[in-house]
Amino acid sequence: MPGTDVLDELDLVVEDIGRGGGGKPPERDEHRGGGGDDGSFRPRRPSPSQSGQRRYQTAILLGMVSICMFFMALSAAFLVRKTGKDWVNFRLPSIIWVNTIVLLTSSLTIDLARRRLALNDLVGFKMMWRATTALGVAFVVGQVVAWRDLVHMGFYVGSNPSSSFFYVFTAAHAAHLIGGILALFYVLFRDFRKIARLSLPVAAEVTSYYWHFMDGLWLFLVALLFFGA
Amino acid sequence: MRLFRSSLVASDHKVIGLRYLWLALVSVFLGMITSLVMRIQLLWPGPHFVASPDAYASLTLVHGSLMVFVVLTCAPQAGFGTYFLPTQIGASEMAFPKLTRLGFWLTALSVIGMVVAFFYRPETGLIVWLASVAVFCVGAALNALNFAVTAIDLRAKGMTLPRMPITVWAWFINAVLSLLIFSTLVAACVQLICDGEAATHFFVPTASPIVAWQRLFWFFTQAQVYVAILPCFGIVTHLVATFARKPVFAHRGVVLALSAVGLCDFWTWGEHAFAAGLNPYAPLVFSMLALSLGIPASILLISWFATLWDAKLRFSTAMLFALGFISLFVSGGLTGLLLARAKFPDSTVGDALVNGHYHLVMGIASTFAMLAALFFWFPKMFGHALSERLGKIHFWLTFAGVYLLFIPMHWLGLISHLPLPAGVSTANSLVLGLQLCITFATVITIAAQGVFVLNVAVTLLRRADARDTNPWRAASLEWTDFAAGSAGLTVHRGAYEFFPAEIRGGSDDFLPQNAPPTDILPPPPAFNPGAAPLNPLGST
Repeated sequence: MPGTDVLDELDLVVEDIGRGGGGKPPERDEHRGGGGDDGSFRPRRPSPSQSGQRRYQTAILLGMVSICMFFMALSAAFLVRKTGKDWVNFRLPSIIWVNTIVLLTSSLTIDLARRRLALNDLVGFKMMWRATTALGVAFVVGQVVAWRDLVHMGFYVGSNPSSSFFYVFTAAHAAHLIGGILALFYVLFRDFRKIARLSLPVAAEVTSYYWHFMDGLWLFLVALLFFGA
Repeated sequence: MRLFRSSLVASDHKVIGLRYLWLALVSVFLGMITSLVMRIQLLWPGPHFVASPDAYASLTLVHGSLMVFVVLTCAPQAGFGTYFLPTQIGASEMAFPKLTRLGFWLTALSVIGMVVAFFYRPETGLIVWLASVAVFCVGAALNALNFAVTAIDLRAKGMTLPRMPITVWAWFINAVLSLLIFSTLVAACVQLICDGEAATHFFVPTASPIVAWQRLFWFFTQAQVYVAILPCFGIVTHLVATFARKPVFAHRGVVLALSAVGLCDFWTWGEHAFAAGLNPYAPLVFSMLALSLGIPASILLISWFATLWDAKLRFSTAMLFALGFISLFVSGGLTGLLLARAKFPDSTVGDALVNGHYHLVMGIASTFAMLAALFFWFPKMFGHALSERLGKIHFWLTFAGVYLLFIPMHWLGLISHLPLPAGVSTANSLVLGLQLCITFATVITIAAQGVFVLNVAVTLLRRADARDTNPWRAASLEWTDFAAGSAGLTVHRGAYEFFPAEIRGGSDDFLPQNAPPTDILPPPPAFNPGAAPLNPLGST
């Protein structure tokens, strides 16, 4: 991080004065993890901004804002339409709660995967990453099951505004989530040594941002459908 | 075949930018033809070209969507922006070249869809049109993402935010605005398509399909008014400073005003689209916001006039079109104040006053800014400046034509709002005369574009001229020869360092953004710095 450079240097200067400018790195630095910042004693890892990779982080943040807007527009329509006379409430299919837990777990595993990667444990990373992908696929399958439950209950896309909103919300979320699953596969199978501009840690980081965002978005949508109806 | 394939996969920002411009040019002519057909239909009713009112309504939609989506939204932002944004900030490419390419092909696909929709029956056509609009919006949102990331992360060394040219600021702010607006539009499209195809009831069904078509059009275009005009503000500010040979007056104020325009627009539209009719205060809030757009607009006007004040103007065709933009924006904006009042007699969508206002501000003013940009950047894009003589004939004919066209249209609207004594019909000779005048002016304006086509064709046939590398002596990066993206490129100052030539004792009255500071000679001893400050209000 360019912003912390100055603080690090200040830190260094103070310690240099205290120890009389000894050549040995300060003690406490050795207890830090592998990803820690050792001041300027060792050559610095190139930060994402220096190697041109910051654009991926910026892009995913802006993209999230845009996707958020899409769902906010649908939610606004939901809240307005709910007051109509033809609105019929229905109980959410119970598999929705299972799906929610599956998605929450996948957020946990993707975070564990990134921790493994930070410790340079590639095998552990791949395992957790695969688990995340599997959980993501399971979530989508679960959503299809939820749709089938609704059909059995007699709620079709067009039967009622409330069921229309349910189908559109879940379908739009699933479409965005499938994009996330494709990104998970990309990180899993792509050989990042062949790409000059994108490294595995940045790709994993960006994908995990998006994945957590999909998770949060789903929690919001479930809350909206559950409490709003 | 190989040529075809390579043209499909091209992702160079200059190639894609030019393609957007060609697409816009073709659409402009299609749109003008449809407007001529509509004028003829209005003057001599009967089944000439359009058989039924339904067909006339869908013709309106084709005219509107081609002009608004492809010309006004695409050309200033995606066209000129894709071409010049990277070079103006010293980058070699857009942040995501493949995304640039995807955005263009989505746009091209949607244009085909919008035109094809006209030939279907209204019910099917509406769905085809909506699907095309959805595709367009996705393309525009992706493009906006690309723009914003490029402007944030790909700036050259030393290109701090205050040093960015106003054009880049406008493109950037517009990109952020587009990210919000186009995703909302996609949501609306999804709901509408579901209503049409899957028998859902997201929207409460209304009257006849004609009204539905018109309402849809206004819903979409209201959001895009400022998406279309924001980059034009940027272009005009840039050109005014360059041809006045003075720094932009109140540089920071202009940037803040541009941001305020974006904010107000989004707010206005959101209020209107989702809250109007829900509670009695909504129209009032809407009206207040629409009026508050006048504040940033006034700041921009003050900056333009202050930059022009006491300047040695160079009246090139590009500058004339930029000044034409200001003129049209002022006269069109005044009627906007009238329309923004909440109590204004319920002006229906087909009203001639609304029509005149909308066309003057949005359509014609933006077109003037685009033509200004084209005349300005043509030497950069094609290696040869357009003919100034033909350009000036083109400008004056067009300028007179559009005023003759749209001012009578305002009068028609006002006449229709007059309280008439019983038994007096509005279809008197005055109204007919005005209608005739409008149609006549339409023909003049369209004919004047022939001069423009001739100008472009003749210039393109000439060979590139090496002397024309910086004919306007502009200071921004796109005119300087730099190795884009190279480590050697460092920006040392803002894009509007113009000053009287005496300061440096030479013939140059500007400093390119990347000229090293050592190039600046000390001012001659007789020179009094207080008399002509280098950059009185700019902060760079």
